[in-house]
Amino acid sequence: MLNLIKYEFIRKYRLVSMILITMLALNLFLLTRGVGGSMLFLVLSPIVLYVFYLADIIKMYSDDLNKKTGYMLFMTPNSGYKIISSKLLAAILEGFALVLIYFIFILINGTYIIISAGNEIDYSQIIKAVDNLLSGSLGFNLGHVLVFLLAALAFLIAFITTVYTAMTIRKSIFSEIKFGGLFSFIIFLLINWVLSFLSSKFYDIITPYYDTVDTISSTGRVSAGGLAMILLPMIAVLIIQAVSLTGISGYLLEKKINL
Amino acid sequence: MNKLSVLKITDLTKRYYNKTALENVSLDFEQGKIYGLLGPNGSGKTTLMKVVAGLHKQTSGSVLINDEMLSYKSKAYVSYMPTENYLYENFKVIDILKYYNTMYEDFRYDYAVNLLNDIDVNSDIKISNLSSGQIGKLKTVIALSRDAQIYMLDEPLNGVDVLSRDTILDLIAKSHSENKIIIISTHLVSEIEKILDTVIFLKEGIVEVFGDAEELRQERQLSVEGIYKEVFRNA
Amino acid sequence: MEFNNNIPIYLQVIEKIKQDIVSGKLKPGEKMPSSRDYSNELGINFNTVARVYRELENEEIVFTKRGLGTFITESDQIIEKLRYTMAKNQITAFIDGMKQLGYTKEDMIKFIETENNYLEGNE
Repeated sequence: MLNLIKYEFIRKYRLVSMILITMLALNLFLLTRGVGGSMLFLVLSPIVLYVFYLADIIKMYSDDLNKKTGYMLFMTPNSGYKIISSKLLAAILEGFALVLIYFIFILINGTYIIISAGNEIDYSQIIKAVDNLLSGSLGFNLGHVLVFLLAALAFLIAFITTVYTAMTIRKSIFSEIKFGGLFSFIIFLLINWVLSFLSSKFYDIITPYYDTVDTISSTGRVSAGGLAMILLPMIAVLIIQAVSLTGISGYLLEKKINL
Repeated sequence: MNKLSVLKITDLTKRYYNKTALENVSLDFEQGKIYGLLGPNGSGKTTLMKVVAGLHKQTSGSVLINDEMLSYKSKAYVSYMPTENYLYENFKVIDILKYYNTMYEDFRYDYAVNLLNDIDVNSDIKISNLSSGQIGKLKTVIALSRDAQIYMLDEPLNGVDVLSRDTILDLIAKSHSENKIIIISTHLVSEIEKILDTVIFLKEGIVEVFGDAEELRQERQLSVEGIYKEVFRNA
Repeated sequence: MEFNNNIPIYLQVIEKIKQDIVSGKLKPGEKMPSSRDYSNELGINFNTVARVYRELENEEIVFTKRGLGTFITESDQIIEKLRYTMAKNQITAFIDGMKQLGYTKEDMIKFIETENNYLEGNE
């Protein structure tokens, strides 16, 4: 499994490097336009990164399903479950890496902005300010942040698995249909519709039990535990979604694929 | 002497919505033989190989390898060489070898390096910069560098210059051994027939002829190519 | 060695070995290459070579010593018989061919004598 993931990154290495170098160049250029340019970059870059990410994770799977180079992967003695799981994990890791890169860009540009404002950089001050912002007015602490991250991760995984399952269904059951990409997208929308229908039914079932739970305290703030309770059903649904979709994709890759 | 049937195909059928690629194909492959899978384009040779290689799923029928139903595990015993250029374009030759070495337990890395050296394929070049003849040689070397039980070579002589063809045929013959099966599909029959034990003629997805090459020569007083021309005259 | 794909290859290899024995290229008792080596040399399937050795062994023209290999017979008798058989085949083919051209037995013999003078003259 590790080897499969390793090779996913080896294969996309050049493309990702090019994108990052381009962004770095863009950043440097915008820095010459002063603080405004720097902030513009911080606003634009996540959009660019997100679009690239989406395109890249689709490409990572689509190339192997649709091009002859896919034989390299599919001739290896790996089960369909292993293959789809390695793609999923590689996509998640790539997501983490890009978020990390964005944070580095924030660090660079943030430092620049602070320096140009004539202030000295004192990271401990910055951290305190952020902490005050979050915990003071919004009542958040580390617990909340972790819960949010967990929810975001679950959402990411569910999203990727839905995309991949749509592609797998298209390439196995509907392998002879033209305009595969379009058809994959239609299947993607269908799966999303079915899943939101199913999950809303699920929420309907469990909501009665939630009325008894005290999530909001008297001060009007939500505790980390309370937040977790609210988001838990959603996280659970997403996890079930991800697991079952991965299972379906794995099964189709094993039994029904036609390259 | 009954040789072990390593690959057993029973009533294999592959249907697409507008054509039938294979129709009730039943074949028994014995260890230690080189098989020629012969027929014109579209006769089903590639489809047959892809099903055994696990890249296509059959509509009906079974494939048994070592008496076990075909599964992803079978890929560890089968070395398939597709007729297309399937290698990662931005990889160097040496990177491809390393990939194979990582993914397949039976890959003989040093053996492959030496072979490529012998046949003048530079390991340091990117796949996208190789000529079609070089790629043909490389694919064959990679496939034969695996110590597999079943080798399936789909048109190994395609796009390969005349001189290199002898090299490739030589390589194939040398890879032959008592506990292996080699299946070669081609429509260039005359060059390859000397090394074939058994020939299988596939016509529009159906097995037309199955027999020992020498016996066929004796019976029909014709070369395999001659028989091929007769069988496919109207194809 | 060039092969004619219209006749079984193993028959052609057998023929060649017999000729080499009779002409002296292959000495009595000489060791033949292994099936694999010989098949690599000739560019044919090693099962074909194995069959060649089997058939020759049936005719007692070669013999196999377990673990040591395949050897040409050392029996002068067998080699002589082989020479005789091959020569006879040549003669039969010759006579048939000449008959087809309309030669009688006497004409054939006369022709051979004149040709023989020609042969001797060129030695």
